[in-house]
Amino acid sequence: MTMDLIASPQLLFSALVLGAGYALVGLGLNLVYGTMRLLNVGHGDLVMLGAYVAFWCFALTGLPPPLAAPLAAALGVLLAEALHRGLLHRLLGAGAERIEANSLLVFFGLSIIVQNLAALAFTASPRALRTLDDVVHVAGVAMTESRIVILLVALAVCGGVLIGLRATVWGLAIKAVIDNGRAAAVVGVDVPRVRRLALWAGFAIAGLAGALLAMVEQIGPFMGFPYTIAAFVVIILGGLGRLGGGVVAGLLLGFVQVYGVALTAPTFSSMLLYGTFVAVLLLRPQGLARAARIRS
Amino acid sequence: MHRRTFLALGVAGAALVAGAAHAADPVRIGFSIAQTGLFAQAAPSQMTAYEMWRDEVNAAGGLDVGSEQRAIEFVWYDDESNPTKAAQIYEKLITDDKVDLLLAPWGTPTHLAVAGTLEKYGFPMVGNTAASVAIRQVAPGNIWFPTSAIPDKIGPALAALARSTGVTKAAIIANVLPFSQENLEYLVPALGAEGIEVVINESYPPDIADMTTLLTAIKDSGADGVIALSYPADSFLYMGQAKEIGVAAPFQFLLVGPTIAAFADAFGPVADNVVTLGHWSPHQAAWGRAKPFYDAYVLSFGMKPDYLDTALAYMSCEILQQAVAKAGLDKDALRATIASETFDTINGPVKFDGVENAITPTAFLQLQGGEMHLIWPADVATAAYKPR
Repeated sequence: MTMDLIASPQLLFSALVLGAGYALVGLGLNLVYGTMRLLNVGHGDLVMLGAYVAFWCFALTGLPPPLAAPLAAALGVLLAEALHRGLLHRLLGAGAERIEANSLLVFFGLSIIVQNLAALAFTASPRALRTLDDVVHVAGVAMTESRIVILLVALAVCGGVLIGLRATVWGLAIKAVIDNGRAAAVVGVDVPRVRRLALWAGFAIAGLAGALLAMVEQIGPFMGFPYTIAAFVVIILGGLGRLGGGVVAGLLLGFVQVYGVALTAPTFSSMLLYGTFVAVLLLRPQGLARAARIRS
Repeated sequence: MHRRTFLALGVAGAALVAGAAHAADPVRIGFSIAQTGLFAQAAPSQMTAYEMWRDEVNAAGGLDVGSEQRAIEFVWYDDESNPTKAAQIYEKLITDDKVDLLLAPWGTPTHLAVAGTLEKYGFPMVGNTAASVAIRQVAPGNIWFPTSAIPDKIGPALAALARSTGVTKAAIIANVLPFSQENLEYLVPALGAEGIEVVINESYPPDIADMTTLLTAIKDSGADGVIALSYPADSFLYMGQAKEIGVAAPFQFLLVGPTIAAFADAFGPVADNVVTLGHWSPHQAAWGRAKPFYDAYVLSFGMKPDYLDTALAYMSCEILQQAVAKAGLDKDALRATIASETFDTINGPVKFDGVENAITPTAFLQLQGGEMHLIWPADVATAAYKPR
């Protein structure tokens, strides 16, 4: 079976869908980490909240998840702003070296609070919605509509962000802050505003990812944690703060899991995933992207 | 209201309460629940059954404790899905909270962990959401398991069901988690004994993210029976991807998952005629309590009960209620009653032999038109098996 299967576009489609999902979830985390050095271990919980937005929109009004995705993204922006005003501006004033450790604790606490509030509000019973579940056949590949949407939107958002980083003033400013916040401030970048924008974008992308993934996953208050783990694997693999590297790493992980299983056995899928992770870190501790520039 | 009148009313009220104190003392029932951690998503299926039972009993005047009726009050703690913590909680419930009765925590490892505590204090408890051959190694006397879904019985029964539906070539995929692997151990020889060829036998990790390779292999194998020894998350993954890839075997079995209300919500007619593990259905008219329970549950919670866990949790409450009505709260009398009586539950009569339910047969459900029907064995079936 193996060689036929390896060459099959069916496998390619599955690898792309999985990888694009990883890339999207990783991208949001990378924006936040890159610009603000915040270790958001509650990132997956934003995905969870986005999934609930999609679920309730669908259950109450019949609005399909792709159309609820902008609402989920908007919720992400609201939460980002609330967090920024309520907590982060104080945290960010604590001095650069304390930020990562402090943020880890703060987000760990917030993560637990958000999960349990969601459990109180929605109960922990798993939810699911049925939409876009017809299968489309193109050139011998069977594709479920919802999975096509996930692939296309994820690629569009990742591509759009990467292009925006190069082609817009705000994008260049974000890149500058990621590379070196102090130097960016010296050349006139409004660092606090840029960070706030990146925080909005990162949270919005997480919410949007959740709304999309709600089409293919069970929805529950504790669904976020695996996405947090996946996002950290993706951004460490891609190079912390290297947004393009993260997107490549996300896609790579999708391919490693899908093709790795095809070449070995399903029992190896987790070992392949984390094996790749460890191997890349041994060979390129700075991640897949080019070496980080000298920081102040 | 004047301050004085208010006080006077208060005093009068207090006197009334004091006078009625003994009769009004609630029966305190303790348990731990996996409110957080690994099992948190599964635990509500159990908690909802407990809550519904408590509210029903209290609305009817309270729990019949032999000579009087007393309201039920729950004392519960989060065990964080940690069996060791659960065992500590049950010790606290017995020694510190001094509860009158106990209900079960969620899951096999948690039941096994608290069994030692029950044994130590001689405190009887009816279990529910535990299913493993390991339950037979628990010393009988203070814990009972109403489930009939025990792997060494599931294997032969599933093989017999598959044979009866005309399966000749089976593809098995199994999660590496314990319940799946225990089932696999007994299923493979049983299929052989029924003359069914196993053409694929693969295991996969619980966090599997894609089944394209597995399902393509199954499709190409020509298997006419697919047996996925799955947990809920991978049951969802299987169903979505099997449709995409076009797995068309007429017999498709998923171990754990389809009994959850969200499964039918996610797949609708796509999941029609999927077979799964379960011994209870509201459609069995011979079980008079089954349909009223189902209707009341849907009314209370706005969703269908989990046909496996919610039914088991509610059964354990019914058994406890009937035993207490007969024996009261004395532990020795209660233990003897649970061990020897036959109880009328939503799943029909239940009687224990050692730790096991000796009456309820190992059975299978099929999702037909969004409804869960028993299709095996024939004497409890509520509908005939339909191929996919």
